[in-house]
Amino acid sequence: MNKKVISIVLGIMCFALTFGICVQVRTVKNSNSTVSQNYEENNLRAEVLKYKERYENKYRELEKAEDQLEKERQSSTQNNEELERREEEIKKGNKMIGLSEVTGPGVIVTLSDSKQETNSVLNPSSLLVHDADVLSVINELKNAGAEAISINEQRLVPTSSISCGGNIIDINGEKVGAPFEIKAIGLPEQLSSLTRQGGYLEFLRNDSIGAELKKSNNITIPKYTGLISYQYAKTVE
Amino acid sequence: MKKMKKGKITMTVTIGIACFALALIMTMQFKIVNETDITSIENMRESELRTELANWKSKYEETNQQYEEVTEKIEEYKNNKQSNEETEKLVNQELEQVHLLLGETDVQGEGIEITLRETNKEEISRITSDDLILIVNTLKNAGAEAISINDERIINMSDIVDINESFIKVNGQRILAPYIIKAIGNQSYLESALIGNGGPIDEMKKIGQDASLQKENRIKIEKYNKEIKMKYIQ
Repeated sequence: MNKKVISIVLGIMCFALTFGICVQVRTVKNSNSTVSQNYEENNLRAEVLKYKERYENKYRELEKAEDQLEKERQSSTQNNEELERREEEIKKGNKMIGLSEVTGPGVIVTLSDSKQETNSVLNPSSLLVHDADVLSVINELKNAGAEAISINEQRLVPTSSISCGGNIIDINGEKVGAPFEIKAIGLPEQLSSLTRQGGYLEFLRNDSIGAELKKSNNITIPKYTGLISYQYAKTVE
Repeated sequence: MKKMKKGKITMTVTIGIACFALALIMTMQFKIVNETDITSIENMRESELRTELANWKSKYEETNQQYEEVTEKIEEYKNNKQSNEETEKLVNQELEQVHLLLGETDVQGEGIEITLRETNKEEISRITSDDLILIVNTLKNAGAEAISINDERIINMSDIVDINESFIKVNGQRILAPYIIKAIGNQSYLESALIGNGGPIDEMKKIGQDASLQKENRIKIEKYNKEIKMKYIQ
C-alpha cells in the first residue's frame, strides 16, 4: 500500500519535472532567438545611424553649394541688366515655391489636442486634431492671403500633401505630431480673420480643441529640404 | 514502528510541497511564455528599422542627386563667365524650371480627368469646397505635378472656398458645376488613390454623388493666369 503511494507520487513528480524541463527548453530557445535578433537589430540600428549621418553631411554640403550657386549666378549676370532682372526673378520664384527660407510678418496658429478626459465624451476621436482640421486651417490661411506656410517647420510647397498616419500626420514625407504649429506670412490683420465667428478655429474650440492665433512681425519659415522634380508634366508653349 | 510511520508522513508532505512548488513554477512559466510572444515584437522592431533605413537611404540619394546638379550648374556658370550668350542660356534654364514649379506655364503629360456633377436628388448632398480640397490633397499625395479645377490652376497658395453654399471660389474665381479636375502624374497612382477603397471618389460614389474618372495619355493644364503676389515675404 505504502509502496504504491510512493510510486504514484514519484511518477507524478517525474511527469511534472519532464514538463518543467520542456518549458525551460522552450524558453531557452526563445531567448536564444532574441539574442540573434538583437544582433541583427543592432546591425540595422548602426546602419540607420550611418545613413542619417551621411544624409546630414550631404545636406550641409548641398546648402553650401546652393549659396555658392547663387553667388556665381549673381556675379555672372551683374554686367547685364536684363540678365540681372532674370536672376532676381529666380531668387523671388524660389522663395514663393518654398525652395529658400523666408521671413516676414504674419501669424502663428497652434492646434493642440483637447485636454478633456477621453472617457468624458461620446467620441474620443473628436478630442484630437486630425489631418482634415489642418487642411481646413491651411485653406483658410491661403484664403486670407498667406504667402508662405509651414507646419511644424515643414514648408508647404506645390507638391505638399497632408495625410493621416494614426496619431500623427505626414507632411512632405515627414511625420509630425500635435501640437501643430502653423506659421503663415502675410498681412497679420488679414490672417487674423481666422478667429472670426463661424471660422474654423471657432469650430475647433467648440470641440474643446486648442486653437490659438498669435500675430507676429517677424516670422521665419524654413525652406523645403526635399527635391521637387517633375517627371510627367512638361512645359508647352 | 511508530518512528517509521512518522518518517513516511514527513516524506509524503515534503514530496507534496515539492510537487506543489513545481506545479506553481510550471504555470508561471507557461503564463510568461504565452504572454510575451517575443518573436513578433522583435520582428516588428526589425521591420520598423528597415523602413527607417530605407527612408534615410532615399533621402541621402535625393540630396546627393541635388548636390550633383547644383555643383554642375556652378561649374557651368564658372566656365561660361566670359560669354553673355552662354550665361543667358543657363539663367533661362533655371528660370524655366522656376516658372514650371510656380505653375506659370502651360503643361502637358499623362494623367487623369475627374468629372463631378451635381445630382438633382434632394437627399444627396451637394459638392462642397471640402470635397475639392480633399481630392486635391489626395492627388498631391499620389504625386500629381499639376492640377486644375475648371481650368483654374492649383498653385502653392491656391484656396478653395464655399460662397453662401451656392458656388465655389478657386483662386478667388467663381466656378460652377460640373467640376472638371485635371491632374498630371502617374495615371495608375492617381487613379488608385482616388477610386481605391476609402478614396475620395469612392466615398462620393458610395453616398450617391455623380463622380467619374478617366485616364488620359495626354492632358493639357493651363497656367495660372494672374501674377503671383509676393508682398510680405522677404
